[in-house]
Amino acid sequence: MTISRRVFVKAGGLALVSLGLDPLFLARAAFAAAPRPGSPTTRPILVCLFQRGAVDGLNMIVPHGERTYYDDRPRIAIPATDVVDLDGHFGLHPGLASLKELWDNKSLAAIHAIGSPDSTRSHFDAQDYMESGTPGVKSTADGWVNRYCQHDREHADTPFRAVGFGPQLPRILAGSAPSLAIDDLQAFGIRAPQDAARDRLTRAFEELYEGAGTGLLASSSQEGFEAVQLLKRANPMQYRPEHGADYPPGRLGKTLLEIAQLIKADVGLEIAFADCSGWDTHVNQGSSDGQLAARLKELGLALAAFNRDLGDRMRNVVLLTMSEFGRTIRENGNSGTDHGHATAMLVLGGPVNGGRVLGRWPGLAMEQRFEGRDVAVTTDFRDLFGEILARHLGATDLSAVFPGFSLDPGKFVGAIRS
Amino acid sequence: MPLTVIAILCLQTVQAPPAAPAPALTARDSAFHVLNRLAYGPRAGEADSLAKAGVMRWIDQQLDPDHVPDPGLAEREKQFKILDYNRSDLAGRYRDAVRERQRMQREGRDTPDSIVMRSPGPMRELRDLGGELQQLAVVRAAVSERQLREVMVDFWTNHFNVFVGKGQDRFLLPSYIEETIRPHALGRFEDLLIATARSPAMLFYLDNAQSVAPGSMPPQRRPPPITFGPFGRPRFGGDPFGRRFGMNDADRQRQRQRQPTGINENYARELMELHTLGVDGGYTQQDVINVARVFTGWSIESPERGSGFVFRDWAHDRGNKIVLGQTFKDAGEDEGIRLLKFLANQRATMHHVSAKLCTRFVADDPPDGCIDAAVAAWQKTNGDIRAVLRAIFTSPDFWAPQAFQTKVKTPLEFVVSAVRAAGVDPDTTPRLAGLVARLGEPLYQQPAPTGYAETEEHWVNSGALLARMNAAMVIARECSSVQPLPDHARLVEAINQQLLGGTMSAHTRDVILEQIVDISDPMQARAMAVGLALGGPDFQKQ
Repeated sequence: MTISRRVFVKAGGLALVSLGLDPLFLARAAFAAAPRPGSPTTRPILVCLFQRGAVDGLNMIVPHGERTYYDDRPRIAIPATDVVDLDGHFGLHPGLASLKELWDNKSLAAIHAIGSPDSTRSHFDAQDYMESGTPGVKSTADGWVNRYCQHDREHADTPFRAVGFGPQLPRILAGSAPSLAIDDLQAFGIRAPQDAARDRLTRAFEELYEGAGTGLLASSSQEGFEAVQLLKRANPMQYRPEHGADYPPGRLGKTLLEIAQLIKADVGLEIAFADCSGWDTHVNQGSSDGQLAARLKELGLALAAFNRDLGDRMRNVVLLTMSEFGRTIRENGNSGTDHGHATAMLVLGGPVNGGRVLGRWPGLAMEQRFEGRDVAVTTDFRDLFGEILARHLGATDLSAVFPGFSLDPGKFVGAIRS
Repeated sequence: MPLTVIAILCLQTVQAPPAAPAPALTARDSAFHVLNRLAYGPRAGEADSLAKAGVMRWIDQQLDPDHVPDPGLAEREKQFKILDYNRSDLAGRYRDAVRERQRMQREGRDTPDSIVMRSPGPMRELRDLGGELQQLAVVRAAVSERQLREVMVDFWTNHFNVFVGKGQDRFLLPSYIEETIRPHALGRFEDLLIATARSPAMLFYLDNAQSVAPGSMPPQRRPPPITFGPFGRPRFGGDPFGRRFGMNDADRQRQRQRQPTGINENYARELMELHTLGVDGGYTQQDVINVARVFTGWSIESPERGSGFVFRDWAHDRGNKIVLGQTFKDAGEDEGIRLLKFLANQRATMHHVSAKLCTRFVADDPPDGCIDAAVAAWQKTNGDIRAVLRAIFTSPDFWAPQAFQTKVKTPLEFVVSAVRAAGVDPDTTPRLAGLVARLGEPLYQQPAPTGYAETEEHWVNSGALLARMNAAMVIARECSSVQPLPDHARLVEAINQQLLGGTMSAHTRDVILEQIVDISDPMQARAMAVGLALGGPDFQKQ
């Protein structure tokens, strides 16, 4: 479609209400020209997973070739014998062993020593900066994903374009471009005890809002009912993961399963966002086993299941993990780690230039550290996010997405195959 | 401002809107309008009684809330435990919750929050108090007779936003609302600005508490007094959350590294950009730095000492500072007070804050006329908020037909106005606050210092609208303001009058009638009809 459906619906609504025609009906007819649920599209998709609490990048992607790593972490380092080696220097935490296969087939890469140029060690501030995309500037009202959606209108033809999975819209999606918060995919829409009652109530509200005239109330409600219809056709209640994918129990597995569902429903999803918490390991972090190991195992199994479930569709999907900062190089007195600076992020998917640890490794020697204690940041997180927006989603102008930051393709780490 | 004076006189005698560009609002529409904008919507029958008693008289009363009796709210507030605790009590509870969490981590039971929260204990208690805090705001908005004050409390809470989820703000927020915002909501802007600047909640939220002059060092620490924590284990004083227990040399070195070593500009920047001058207020980055230097030393006592405001002389920058061309000589704490008064009385501040007030009360894109009237009143009264509001409420823009029923309600306004219209009796459970959150406005949980937005593009989107429809059906089940009349035509007309002030469109009426035609049970018909009316497009507007 050359004209976006959103524009069409709005213009159509304006022009046709006076003729007594049903603009929603026309909108549906217009949409019928687009691919139907079940037929895969080639639209690129980005899935962002925020590891809230600051994941310990050093125990996630382990620099087992560094003597200092073992010297500074006598109780919590991952023994070289347990590390799943990647390139002789770095290796996966054994909890992530399920991802080795994806590494080997070059669809998984890691970026080390990545983070924010701002030195804050406050979870709140650092998460805020990573979501607003403006480190050091607190008053940015919208998130960078939303700004991308505001800027790139080409895909603004579906209410499911940008979806946050959770009860509230996350900061990263906040802003003037339409985006959706979905807490439970199966309960999305008008709620009623039985299907028949729900359909009836949905129709009643739909009719009510047809009288809402032309403003934002009218167009947004139409989009809402469209979304309900689209989802109903996709029938999320009947969803079964494919190719023997087995999602781990818990919130993360459920969320990734719902994202896979929404991708397969072909409702126009372009960016999905979800949280996973439990990474703030100040006390008893554990080593090959323990607290962090359990979280990483769940993450690894969930990502592997997501990849398997989507199968061929991963051709167009990039999954990105992010976390507000990393943790101290040296373990603390409670067998944990405190708030640090740079961390590691993962990128997974068909378009990924996988099988390598990307970015410049700064080293762990005292003089190589940030403020004498933390892994130094050698890749600004905006360089990675910007690369994915530009090379995967096809964004053309990133200056509006990351204001005050000049993106230089020369600084891209090469996470996406060109 | 003779025009304003005439307008007031005129309004007080004939009790109808001034001769604004015709056609003017009817007396009943005026009452409905005022109740939607200065209050959280009319209760059943209220628009009629207000139209009879006089709209301007009611506005005058609302501007003088101390003389409006409010026994119902006073009674209701007694049910909220959160109001019985002061800052120290809450700090203690926060500490207990942090300890519980650390204990669970040590024992390797760091389970997801949802599981912890279901079992009783300090973490659960703290979460429940947080829920009460949100619900209290909804209950006050719903039941208080001092409606305008509640509206202004919400306005200032957003203007001077503090995010409850940031560290110590979890326990500092209740006293911020009770002691900083509420007493000054209808006072002088300058006093409110100073109160927020000195509030521990703001000092923590925007990091001024850790802003120190470069190179300054705290005076030699005395050995901390040893106290005994739970299970008789010695604990060291001055350590809010037990983190220093068992400190080794490396820990102590880290502690030293964590000592703040310079100024923090966050508060200074937001003070000028958001609280006073506005983003185009003509200040420079150098002004930001100098404002931050003025506020070095403005900090917070440790939680053991009550987490109150403290001025740390040792951390204060003693040099001269120039802000917007004005020199502030070294005067310790008083420097900051002088700077706040200076900023409060800048023309840019008057304009910025007046425009925000007009966005709230008049229109998303307010006309210049009402803003100019507000600025003039501000100038004349040195920022008496009541005078500024009065100027807005008597400006022709406020009464213009194009202002009537054209502003989309925020989630809080939507839920509270539905509760008031339907005659729902709110309780202390965070049920209604939960609805507000689901519509996108979890109270006190806006991380950005901008606070929640006032304009429709931030609130109207497909997901949020579906959520409003669901919320309407939930609220409608408890409707008591409309009789379950068996005659459907009469039922829908009663809903039109009681809930929508007579503004129901013919289309809405037809759709509702059609939907209930086959429902014979009057209670069910009422629930359906009220739900559709509250969730439909007419009720989204004010």
